[in-house]
Amino acid sequence: MVRILLRFPEKIVDQPIIAETILKHGIPLNIIAAHVDFHGGQVLAEVPSQDIEKVVSAFRERGVIVTIPKLIEVDKEKCIHCGSCFSLCPTGAITINEDFSVNFDKEKCVGSSCGLCVDACPVRAITLTREPNLLVQNSENKKSV
Amino acid sequence: MFRRKQMLGKDTRTVAEINEKIKKGDVQVLTAEEMKKLVEKSGVEVAYKEVDVVTTGTFGAMCSSGAVINLGHSDPPIKIQNAWINDVPVCHPGAAVDLYIGATQMSETRPFEYGGGHVIEDLISGKEVEVRATAYGTDCYPRTKLRTIITKDDLNQFYLLNFRNCYQRYVCATNSRDETIYTYMGKLLPRFGNATFSGAGALNPLMNDPDYETIGIGTRIFLGGTQGYVIGEGTQHDPKNLSGTLMVRGDCKNMNPRFIKGAAFTKYGTTLYVGIGIPIPLLNIGLAKKTAIRDEDIHIPIVDYGIPARNRPKLGTVSYKELKSGSIIINGKKVKVSPLSSLKAAEEIAETLKAWIKEGLFYLSAPVERLPRDTEYKPMKQSEETVLVKSVAHQAVTCREDEKIEEVAKQIIRHSVNHVVVVDELGKLRGIVTSWDITKAVAEGKEKLADIVTRKVVTTQMDEPLEAASRKMSQHQISALPVIDHNRKVLGIITSEDIAKLLGRQQNG
Repeated sequence: MVRILLRFPEKIVDQPIIAETILKHGIPLNIIAAHVDFHGGQVLAEVPSQDIEKVVSAFRERGVIVTIPKLIEVDKEKCIHCGSCFSLCPTGAITINEDFSVNFDKEKCVGSSCGLCVDACPVRAITLTREPNLLVQNSENKKSV
Repeated sequence: MFRRKQMLGKDTRTVAEINEKIKKGDVQVLTAEEMKKLVEKSGVEVAYKEVDVVTTGTFGAMCSSGAVINLGHSDPPIKIQNAWINDVPVCHPGAAVDLYIGATQMSETRPFEYGGGHVIEDLISGKEVEVRATAYGTDCYPRTKLRTIITKDDLNQFYLLNFRNCYQRYVCATNSRDETIYTYMGKLLPRFGNATFSGAGALNPLMNDPDYETIGIGTRIFLGGTQGYVIGEGTQHDPKNLSGTLMVRGDCKNMNPRFIKGAAFTKYGTTLYVGIGIPIPLLNIGLAKKTAIRDEDIHIPIVDYGIPARNRPKLGTVSYKELKSGSIIINGKKVKVSPLSSLKAAEEIAETLKAWIKEGLFYLSAPVERLPRDTEYKPMKQSEETVLVKSVAHQAVTCREDEKIEEVAKQIIRHSVNHVVVVDELGKLRGIVTSWDITKAVAEGKEKLADIVTRKVVTTQMDEPLEAASRKMSQHQISALPVIDHNRKVLGIITSEDIAKLLGRQQNG
């Protein structure tokens, strides 16, 4: 599975784009996080790796801005296992083991759509990085006026 | 005589006897963690008989830390007036080339990210740092400017001198406000979204010797990966409240950067993580019992850091056992809680100290003087009273959400104000409208008040210090705060004009 971040500009936020795309292409899409306000909407979703190109182009055709979210990267040399980040993680990607070492699970991380832990790290061991080896280009599509 | 000694030997031990055992290589040492388990399993008597020393540890952010350095004299010599290391201002408290690097001093070029704590860590790691200094120049110290690159090897003295470390226990912090706050207790999410705590609980050195029988002036300790000393009680030492602190000293040149780390708390500032481990010699059975203290025996208050006053409200108490479990209950809701000090490193320190003692690398020292046990920690004497919001708050002009924009515009003119507070039928806060919002609505042809109301309102309370309220205004770039009570009922409003007027009065008076 690959994670994609869908951003819906104000103009198209009222259209059922996700539902239509799923129906049209028959691709399962797992919504992990969603946020809508007056500026538009943002949805973090998971799609099967083999369908990624098809999904990305389908959403871009409808005016959705598609990016690959950045995920947390932890510098193991810097981390002092203080756990400051632990209580900020809303998805349970950061856990504390029995021996009080801090564990990071990228699978559960929602990355740049959250990022709450990054500035809570007192030794600045957490950064957001893009996943390598992705099939899709990570540039935002140009807004057509 | 022989018989008496034998008898005494059964009931008590001396530090000298333990050191003799260390020398022979048959000393029995347990970490505080292991001691608790042994006492639980076999009882205090057996544990006391079997164990000579219990090692403790803590590794937390300790802001009242710093290092003294001596640079040696330049040619021509300089009597330093102001100095910076890697752009961090360092204090010049004494003679010509003695400097104190305070952990919380921040870099002038990278504030909030790099500070005194990082300078200390960089020097300990063997890195080069840039020293800059200026002076007024005297007949004996003619030089007025200095720039040099140094490492720790170039320094005559480089020792850690921390005036408050190792808090026996500390509070648990949370935040009632509607916004995230950044504190020395870390990042606190809105509406009790998380909590943080500091301290190692049952592993903390002072918690294992709460009557300070063995920890005192001259006690040899693990400090930053080398041997250091307790040189007295720390500032704000509060023994009657189970909140003792230590003043410590150690040679930075021998320290290990793994146990001394510069750190940055976002929007608070920089600090230093300090690793401290203290061996507790079991001189009597009482100490064996004390070192068996468990996390569930140590309770601390949950404190609302959302209230910016000295007496922050307490929302309950929790034990370190609950805190270390990862979540606690606040107002009936389960909340995730972060340790800010590294419990893993604390255990590692206790283990390291244990190994040192067993290998004969570390001998215990008896204190030459005990720490105070009856002193009190007083709040500041303030000769000027703190001005509270209530001293400038006045009645707010209010309206209801279903009123017409035109009506509200008339109110603004009639009362000559810029802010109208939107309330419901019970007088509770629903939003705020400014004269700018009205102007914009007219320009855009909007008619309904509901379309232009700002609903996320930054508020204040009557007993909030005015300084804190004014900080909120500048942070959010707004010019008024509705004053509400605990039920969000609107009691009044304060504006930046009120504050400006008050300042004007104070300056004229």
